[in-house]
Amino acid sequence: MVSHVTDSTFNSEVLNSDKPVLVDFFATWCGPCKMLAPVIEEVAQKMEGEVKVVKLDVDENPQTSRMYGIMSVPTMVLFKDGKPVGKLVGFNPAERIESALRGALGI
Amino acid sequence: MYDIAIIGKGPAGISAAITAHARNKKVIVFGGDSKKLLLSPSIPNYPGLMEIKGTEFVKRLNEHLASTDAVLSKKMVTAVYSMGGYFAIQAQNDMIEAKSVIIATGVDFKKSIENEDTFLGMGVSYCATCDAPLYRGKTVAVVGYNKESIEEANFLSEVCSKVYFISMTREPYNFNENVEVIKDIPVKFEGHMHAQKLILKNTEVVADGFFVIKDSYPLTSLVPGLDVDGPHVVVNRAMETNMKGVFAAGDVTGRPYQNAKAVGEGQVAALSAVDFLNGRDK
Repeated sequence: MVSHVTDSTFNSEVLNSDKPVLVDFFATWCGPCKMLAPVIEEVAQKMEGEVKVVKLDVDENPQTSRMYGIMSVPTMVLFKDGKPVGKLVGFNPAERIESALRGALGI
Repeated sequence: MYDIAIIGKGPAGISAAITAHARNKKVIVFGGDSKKLLLSPSIPNYPGLMEIKGTEFVKRLNEHLASTDAVLSKKMVTAVYSMGGYFAIQAQNDMIEAKSVIIATGVDFKKSIENEDTFLGMGVSYCATCDAPLYRGKTVAVVGYNKESIEEANFLSEVCSKVYFISMTREPYNFNENVEVIKDIPVKFEGHMHAQKLILKNTEVVADGFFVIKDSYPLTSLVPGLDVDGPHVVVNRAMETNMKGVFAAGDVTGRPYQNAKAVGEGQVAALSAVDFLNGRDK
């Protein structure tokens, strides 16, 4: 299960993580977000040990969403050493997310 | 779950459906009659049907299609999601599942607004239902090309404080009070990091978000993950795309934009899909 992060846990779970973190900014009412959910699970399993994958509900956590300029859901942002290093907007198949992650992290 | 979902009911899509049916596959075909064909006064070069009228050709294609047991849907496909092992096809409010997909949508000559693709997801959205709540209490603009865009603008006006509607359609409208209609031609989006204004021929609109609602969307948003080259899908001779289980045929794969080429490709795509399905089920 991909765990959820919030405005209050974002610092500790994402920005201060020793591993790169992929954050799936989603909303409960968004169709493509629902389709992405099982895909994100698959990516999390495949990349286990290399990338941590978490989800953030944009309605419940407006502060973080605003800070990273989320204007469309789903949006996936990759964080490394506390900084956003890559962004994917909209639904993407698992292979594409994985190759984008490997490309951005050089792994 | 369907074996093959065919997106598009032009010559390529119908040809694919006929072959897939002959191979005993469960098929669904999305789309309406090819507008391009219906508008052809005469087709000079389709072998065996010299100077057939476009309308007559469409009629015959449909008769042939009706002789198969392919399921037909007039619903507009908005997205094809690769779920790993199967595809989920969003057709308006329906979600249909298929093991393989053939894209036979034809090619769209309509130009996008300048910078539309650059700002997609950064202030420009194709989906009001998806992104409206992100603009709660804010000002948005809708560039509307069809009937749906009018419904979407009204939906947005319930969530947003102000909606500008740039009307590119002749459909009648009955908007809520906070919708302002602008009759002008969109030229380009401008902004730093995200879209902040839309330049029109005679004026400009500043808004927090922009929604472009039209009948066909770029292939990359129709099928996320698909390799494209401009308005065309990249395919090999077997009509395979970069995505396993996704094939393409007809005008959407590139020139020449000809019926004979489209039906040939439709057949190849269907046979490749059948091979893919047979290999997969083993």
